[in-house]
Amino acid sequence: MRIVIAEDAALFRAGLVRLLEDEGHRVCAAVADGEALLAAVASHRPDVVVADVRMPPTFTDEGLRAALELRRSHPGTAVLVLSQYIETRYAAELLHGSPSGVGYLLKDRVADVSEFTDAVGRVAAGGTALDREVVSQLLAASRHAGDLDPLTPRERDVLALMAEGRSNAGIAAALVLTLGTVEKHVASIFAKLGLPASETDNRRVLAVLRYLGS
Amino acid sequence: MTGPAAGAAPAAAPAAYAAAAARAPFTARARSDIAFCVLTLPLILPVPVIGFAITIGLANLAGPSWMAAGNPSWLAMLTAVAIAVLTAALMVTTGATRALAAAVRRAAGRLLAEQVTPPPPRHTRLGDGPGWRAMAYLMLKLPAGLAECYAVGVFWLAGLVNLTYPFWWLSFRNHSPGVRLSPVPVTTPFDWFGQGHFRVTTFPGTFAAFAAGAGMLLAAPWVTRGVVAADRWLIRGLLGPGRTAQRLQDLEQTRALAVDDAAARLRRLERDLHDGAQIRLATLAMNLGMARKKLGDQGEVPDLVAARELVGAAHRGAKDALVELRELARGIHPPVLDNGLADALASLAATSAIPAELAVSVPVRPTPAIETIAYFCAAELLANAAKHSQANKIKIFITERAGLLVLQVTDDGVGGAEPSRGSGLSGLAQRVAVVDGRLDIASPPGGPTRITVELPLRAGHR
Repeated sequence: MRIVIAEDAALFRAGLVRLLEDEGHRVCAAVADGEALLAAVASHRPDVVVADVRMPPTFTDEGLRAALELRRSHPGTAVLVLSQYIETRYAAELLHGSPSGVGYLLKDRVADVSEFTDAVGRVAAGGTALDREVVSQLLAASRHAGDLDPLTPRERDVLALMAEGRSNAGIAAALVLTLGTVEKHVASIFAKLGLPASETDNRRVLAVLRYLGS
Repeated sequence: MTGPAAGAAPAAAPAAYAAAAARAPFTARARSDIAFCVLTLPLILPVPVIGFAITIGLANLAGPSWMAAGNPSWLAMLTAVAIAVLTAALMVTTGATRALAAAVRRAAGRLLAEQVTPPPPRHTRLGDGPGWRAMAYLMLKLPAGLAECYAVGVFWLAGLVNLTYPFWWLSFRNHSPGVRLSPVPVTTPFDWFGQGHFRVTTFPGTFAAFAAGAGMLLAAPWVTRGVVAADRWLIRGLLGPGRTAQRLQDLEQTRALAVDDAAARLRRLERDLHDGAQIRLATLAMNLGMARKKLGDQGEVPDLVAARELVGAAHRGAKDALVELRELARGIHPPVLDNGLADALASLAATSAIPAELAVSVPVRPTPAIETIAYFCAAELLANAAKHSQANKIKIFITERAGLLVLQVTDDGVGGAEPSRGSGLSGLAQRVAVVDGRLDIASPPGGPTRITVELPLRAGHR
């Protein structure tokens, strides 16, 4: 995959480049602010962009603005936003419209290399990668929290992983279950919540998030 | 003292003083003092006193029941006092005294460069403290204004008239010999109710009048300045916001500064954590994550060289993060401060970029808040000196004087330190003001710079 990185902390940026290159990806450009990111994407047309939220010159949400701009101008480029904090509002802005090819993760997740590269791959393939912190905040704040009572604890785990954007196989690996068991849980969840069963992972994420957020 | 300059000084001084004295009547200051006296002259007629006088006058006309043997009766006196008090109350409640006070403040600001902060707007009508204090000023303006009249009328006006005697004498008094004319009186400053003046009868005598006039004019600016100074004192004391209101204003201001300062410090702290220790730890975790992958899950190690290198980087990162966190923690509160200011300042002086000499004599320990402020003042002043002063040596002196903690930082640098030049001094002054402290800067161009910080020993006790 061809990747452009935007991160203002030099050490972390260098680490990211190394990590992704070790995994066999090609890092076309590694820049330090939003403007440079837009320029790099325009010239390199990467598959994925990995961008920090807080960058110069404003040190507020530069990276997020740039990511939203890229979602509009380059719909084919997947965007994975990294941040030291989770803001549900940012997640909502990123997912606005469609959750395909977008991710929002805490920087801490980079420490689990396989999980992180899995998220990059998922986003590049048009999927979603939502930090579990975002999901748990959504679950805590959801007005449908009461409706989730009939779910078994295992089903709740599966729901959370679905909201993160994982596939059935991913959920199975994460919970150490067989694929068949996961499929059964998913069907049960959709039935209990009264959601229409969805074929693709994307639709499924959208359905779950809409349900939690509405 | 030796040297030509020192020797010449005593000889030059009297001449300089004489020149200054001769110029004094013609200065702008003398003119504006006169203008102030003349412009505020109408105020010497306080309305309540006039009310009192008119009542007594009417009582005189009313007949024997109000006036007995030329003296007002008790009834007349009571009525007059009541009318005076009512007039005063009416002036206060209508805001007339405040309006007059504002006019006086304006005149004092324009002509005397005496800037007096107006009192806060009134909330009650009758209980209006500043209004009543303005009334008190208007009453006291009677003696003050009479003194001003005396200064302007006698010293300036009569002085000028006296100067003219020799010039008109010959044209008006050139009578034929043998004709005796009545002598002409000459006003002097001691001229009280017809006593104390002298008379001239001959032309040579007019030179005495001239001399008296010249003397009066030379004295005039100083006498005027004196009586105006008394008036200034009344204006400052009675037409300002009053001590409580002033204090309230100061407190509101410093509270706002303290709140802003606290918010700014928290923001800076978050920023330092975000850009410093936090990102270092994230990088360290990432390096360890990569190393773990290189080491493999079990058995044979797939890439030992890379794993070693990554663990090395993570190790360095951990040490850097520790340093960063320690610096940050010390910036929030230096632990050595718990042992007292002396220890804390000693360790500060030891790490100063410019060699610093320290003298501490503080027998009573100030409260922790004051110690912290004093410490950070010293730290900021040392950092400032290192940045701007080009000094070779710094002296830090901290002592207790009259219930105040006095911190003095002196350097032998280039001087010219000013709070307006964004050297952190204005921020320091604000932080010190929050606990009613003071920051004094003496930094002439060319140096040396001496900055004195005075703090109460206990925050919140004046």
